[in-house]
Amino acid sequence: MTAAGRSGAGSRRATLLVLPAVVPVVVVVGAALTSAVLLSLGLTPLVGRPELSLDAWRATELGTSIRLSLAIAAGATAVATVVGLCLALAVTAGARRSRLLATLSSLTIPVPHLVGAAAMGLLLADAGFLPRLLGIAPADWPALVGGRWWIAVGAEYAWKESAFIALVVAGALSSRVASYTETAALLGAGRWARFRHVTLPLAAPALAASAAVSFVYTLGSYEVAALLGRPAPEPLPVLAVRLFTSIDLAARPQAAAVAVTTSALGLVAVLVALRSLRRLAAEQ
Amino acid sequence: MSGSLQLTGLTRVHTAGAAPALDDLTLAVPAGSCVAVLGPSGSGKSTVLRLTAGLDTPTRGSVHLDGRDLAGVVPERRGMAMVFQRPLLFPHLSVRDNVGFADRVRGLPRRQVRESAERYLELVQLGGFGHRPARALSGGQAQRVALARALAAEPRVLLLDEPFSALDTGLRQEMHELLADLRLRLAPTVLLVTHDPAEADALADTVAVLDAGRLQQLGPMRELYTRPRSLAVSRLLGGRTEVPGTVAGGRHRSALGDLELPAPAAEGRGVLVVRPEAVTLVAAADADARGTVVQVRRRGLRSLVTVEVAGAEPAAVDAELPPGQEAVVGAEVGLRIPLGARCVVPLADPREVASAHDGQR
Repeated sequence: MTAAGRSGAGSRRATLLVLPAVVPVVVVVGAALTSAVLLSLGLTPLVGRPELSLDAWRATELGTSIRLSLAIAAGATAVATVVGLCLALAVTAGARRSRLLATLSSLTIPVPHLVGAAAMGLLLADAGFLPRLLGIAPADWPALVGGRWWIAVGAEYAWKESAFIALVVAGALSSRVASYTETAALLGAGRWARFRHVTLPLAAPALAASAAVSFVYTLGSYEVAALLGRPAPEPLPVLAVRLFTSIDLAARPQAAAVAVTTSALGLVAVLVALRSLRRLAAEQ
Repeated sequence: MSGSLQLTGLTRVHTAGAAPALDDLTLAVPAGSCVAVLGPSGSGKSTVLRLTAGLDTPTRGSVHLDGRDLAGVVPERRGMAMVFQRPLLFPHLSVRDNVGFADRVRGLPRRQVRESAERYLELVQLGGFGHRPARALSGGQAQRVALARALAAEPRVLLLDEPFSALDTGLRQEMHELLADLRLRLAPTVLLVTHDPAEADALADTVAVLDAGRLQQLGPMRELYTRPRSLAVSRLLGGRTEVPGTVAGGRHRSALGDLELPAPAAEGRGVLVVRPEAVTLVAAADADARGTVVQVRRRGLRSLVTVEVAGAEPAAVDAELPPGQEAVVGAEVGLRIPLGARCVVPLADPREVASAHDGQR
């Protein structure tokens, strides 16, 4: 068999192996997205005649919700990235105390977001555990839960996602960062220069990938924002669920429009992340 | 660029109660010289470099550079650079940026960094490779860049941790020649760690033999080859012949007969060690001892012959024959052991001598 023939057979086998994973994804996500797009455009109404219309897209407060969702996802991901990187560095530093800290922080990974949100509410609410511990009256406590700045929501996402980011980055760094930083130290690089010129570039691909996953997850996550956020304005997932479960069946196309928007934003974030990952991987 | 390094009583115990990885090593590396630390795996030789570089802290002892005690001085302020067994080029930087790394973290202007990097790349015969990504280099090229990067840091002492052991024979030879050339041009102070006696011989002025964390012998390689102080040193340097006997009145008595020694040796039991290159097969009349060829192994154009000499305590002597001379198994031959090649070392555990012979057969 020629090299071209072997390569063709290998490619066919690879395609067949991938199919069991790709088919369900394409069927489920494709079918769901198609039906949501059709519903949002008025082509598959629950009642009445199908008619192409952009009314569902105009009726909702999409702009405000997009800005709010992006802000929550970006803020929580930024904090999680910084904290996760610090934890990963602590793990790879190898000091016993650092390892203990990292082990404790990784215990947050199996805790569900819903439980985390409830715990964050009990901790940060104006009558919660923290103000009581500090002896601060509810009236004097800032509105961290349900307040203007969505602090409790961001804190919960950052707390959970930082452990995930730390795990991924520590895995990428652990096998090689020590030898590279020792080499850099012997070339005269101090602590900051080693971080800036060696550790950070080596961690960048894993950091970017895990941050992208965290961002997209936070963007589309419902329960934490619903539990700890304020009633209005609403982030995209909360808005979508409310419209979808509304007794007004005419709100269904609006819910579909919000869901399609959320998916599109997530897709754009993934494409941007893949592009930057390709660049970072090419540098490694 | 060259500094003088002094290690004094350097000791490292990794786990309390366990044998030290390095035990009371005292070693001087004069400015501009190359000293090799030679030892088998686990002998503590890499620990010497890590303690010298400040990557590990000694349990006892000190490291002085140009008379200054380096206790508590962090690696980046020691004025040393190290080349490891793996090149460890920073994968996110180009070849030029790798070589210019030390200058860059020193804050020198970018143009100056680039010019200096190109100069050092020329020195390791890789001029024009600067723009390439580090990952696009072959193993030998990557190790050259690692060497250039270390030299570009202008260290007071260059530490080499088995830098060429991962390269094939031809490349290793090239790197030896390159390093010899760099020593002529830049005269750096070099502390080299290796397990290969040929590498130590090719590169170092002085060799320190380390075994089980202890310094066994220090001196020029020729002296170590011809006058090993112990069986461990002799074996590490490829010595194969170990003939137990007794020393009395400057002579060694064994199955080989009563052989005169070139230098005084301690009276009593002692092992005669002889390099195989020094032993020749001769006619019976001119021989110091006679025996039977029991094994012949090919070494390129040469043959390594093992001759068994009968006696109350039979002895096996290895001889490396020059090209063209052949011997067959079972032949009766005479052995000539030149006076200058005879060396007696203290008898270790007799079982050790026996097992060493068994291992060589």
